[in-house]
Order: sequence, then structure tokens, then C-alpha cells
Amino acid sequence: MKRSGPLFTLFAGLVLALFMLSVNATTGTGSSSYSDSSSDSSDPSGTAGPAGPAASPTTSAPGKRPSPTRTPSPAPTKKPPADGRYTGRTDDDSASVAITLRAGGAVAYFCDGRATESWLKGDVEDDGSMRLTGRHGAKLDGRLAPDNGSIRGTVEIREKSWAFTAPKAEKPSGVYRATAEARGERLDGGWIVQPDGSQVGILNRDGEPAEAPRLDPATGTVVLGDGGRLTARPVVP
Amino acid sequence: MTVDPNAPTQGGFPVPPGAGGPRRPHPARYLLPALVAAAVAVGLGAYGQVHDPEGTAFNLAGFSSTGAVKSWLGTTALGFALLQVVSALMVYGRLPGPSWSAALHRWSGRIAFLVAVPVAVHCLYALGYQTYSTRVLWHSFLGCFFFGAFSAKMLLLRSERLPGRLLPVVGGLVFAVLTVVWLTSALWFFRTFGVTR
Repeated sequence: MKRSGPLFTLFAGLVLALFMLSVNATTGTGSSSYSDSSSDSSDPSGTAGPAGPAASPTTSAPGKRPSPTRTPSPAPTKKPPADGRYTGRTDDDSASVAITLRAGGAVAYFCDGRATESWLKGDVEDDGSMRLTGRHGAKLDGRLAPDNGSIRGTVEIREKSWAFTAPKAEKPSGVYRATAEARGERLDGGWIVQPDGSQVGILNRDGEPAEAPRLDPATGTVVLGDGGRLTARPVVP
Repeated sequence: MTVDPNAPTQGGFPVPPGAGGPRRPHPARYLLPALVAAAVAVGLGAYGQVHDPEGTAFNLAGFSSTGAVKSWLGTTALGFALLQVVSALMVYGRLPGPSWSAALHRWSGRIAFLVAVPVAVHCLYALGYQTYSTRVLWHSFLGCFFFGAFSAKMLLLRSERLPGRLLPVVGGLVFAVLTVVWLTSALWFFRTFGVTR
């Protein structure tokens, strides 16, 4: 007679593993809504812009996560504004702002490269206006120019306000985010890459913001000071 | 032949002494454990490699970070694994032990395994198979290897008339691998961040 105890042991381990995976899969989405940027390789950002074959630096995204699909409101006559990336600076040149539009949604990142940052998101109205909100009461009011060439607006964070202009940009410009938990530390970084190649970023280590190491926009790789690596991905709504 | 509990083994610890006895009636019966072991190890590694690391996952109340949770769970698993070695020596008569040492061996092994599973799930789900340093490379590789070797050990237990040294050798291998996995993760974590963090 064969012993079946070892089989039960293996089976129990398998059940436990599957249970924990399902818990992770169901709870993971709610806690960090912004970090769930879906992979970029299917990003249809070329639908409106000049149809140039922008050298697409696709970040390697082998395992695609199903991003929470937003159902665009099926208004038969009106269309939401076209998808696109917008990157720019505040009028006082102290910080960068990047906004990505997709399917009627917008996600924005404000970053001064030192300590102040905010992730904001919301919907884009059919007339091209948007009111995005972030944590701690951060707000971004913006309006898309009629030719879809730029977004102009204001950002308000902790009772300070900045006006900004963000012209339309192409890959690899845009906003990137990397989140990871390594060595017991929670890492959360955001970067804005401008069309001229300059960039700013903030990397939070366990909630402590600091200037981020440089992001390689072609691969999304960030080499940390201690030799570790992060992979940042373009952020889409 | 069945395992003779009083058969002399080399040394007090199951060191690989040229595995496999001289008689192996049906070599094919090693095939299933070996195949399952390879499938588990490669499957875990492939999942960790292909799957996008999520960065975060569950946490337990009372711990400062998932790193601390995993380190303590891993340390618990290693503690039960040490008990495994001791109780195995009792089963084989190398140490004086109570009559329930076999049950002790079975249940301490089950607990060690079930405690290690959540750690592996978190590793593979949140961090993935990584190679950015020697420590991390070995940890990733041996972590996957461990679960393959453990599966093989469990399946081998179902076979009868094994060569006398095979189970101690495989068991010792599983223990050795778990030890290295612990050294490259939990011990590193405690040394880097401290035990109390």
C-alpha cells in the first residue's frame, strides 16, 4: 500500500499557495491604484498625433497584467479627446508636469525633483477640460487646446499653486513610475522625461522622498545607488 | 528491501556518499519524482521570470514590513527543518529518540513546508526571479530548487524498497538548500536591518 501522507502535504502546500495568490490578486489592486499602469506595448498613443513611426522604446513587459478596463462612455456623437502624452513645466520653471490621456481618462504627475510630487487622475470631458485629483487634496485643472497641441492649467498642492503648460510629446517623453519592495524597503519612484531628454524624478524609500537616480527612457531601467535595479513603466490612465 | 532503521550510516549527518544503492529494481520509478521536481523548480523560476513583479503584496499585522514577516517565517521554517534533521536521526536510530519520533518528523516537516510556502508566494509574486547580485541570484535559483527537491522527497516517500541511502541523501539535500536560501535572505535581512525592525 502506498503512503498518501506526502501527497496530502504537497497538496496542502499547493492549496495554500493558490489561496495566497488569490488574496494578493484581489487585494493588490485596491491599495495602490496608481501603480497599476498597464504595460505600454499596446499603448495606442499614435491615434491622434503625427503618425510618425516614433522609435518606440517598448519596455519589456512579458507578463501583462489586466489593467482595470475603463469603459469609454459610449456617446454616439461626441468622442472623448484623443489619446496622447503631454509634458511640460510650470511657469516659474520650478517643476515638471506630465499628463497622459487615454480613452477619456487622464493621469498626471507633478514633480519638482526634490521633495514635492503628486499623482493625480480623473476624467477628461468631451470639451477637453479636466479636473484631476490626487492625495492630500491635490488638484489639477487643465484644458486641452483645440488643436490637441498642449494642455494648459494649474496645479494646486498643499495650498500652493502653479500654472503650467504641457505641449504634446512623443515617446519616450512622458511619465514613468516604478514601484517595488526590495530588501524590506518600499520603493516608489516617478519620473518625467521631457522631449529634450532632460528628466526629473523623485524616489520614495519607505515614504521618504528624495531625488531619483536617472531613468533610462529606452529601457525603463533605473540603477539604484546600492546596485539594485528598478524597472519603470509608462503610466497610463 | 525496506529501510533498516539500525543500518549504519556514514557520519552523523546525511552527507551524500555516492547516492543510490547497488540494487535498483525499477529505475523508472525515480522518473516521476525527478520529472515532478524539475517541473516544479523550472515552473516556479519561469513564473518568477515572466510574471511582472507586483512590488507589493499582503502584509501581516504586527510586522514592520513584508521583509520582516518573510524573514521570521523563513526562520521558523529553518527551525523546524533543524528538528527534521534531529528527528530523522532518531528514526534511523542514530540518536536515542521516543517512539513518536517518526510522527515528529512528519509533522515538523509539514509545518516547515507550509510556513515556507507563503514566503515563496510573496517572493515570486512581488519580487520575481532576480539576478542582480550574487546573493539574489543564488537565492532565486535555490529557492526554486528547494520546492522541486521537496516535491521529489515527498514523492519518493511513496515508493517502497528504496536504496537505503536515498532518502537521507535527498532529505539532507533539501535541508542544505533551505539553509542556503535562509542564509541568503533572512540572515541577510537581519544583518542589514536588524532583528527588531
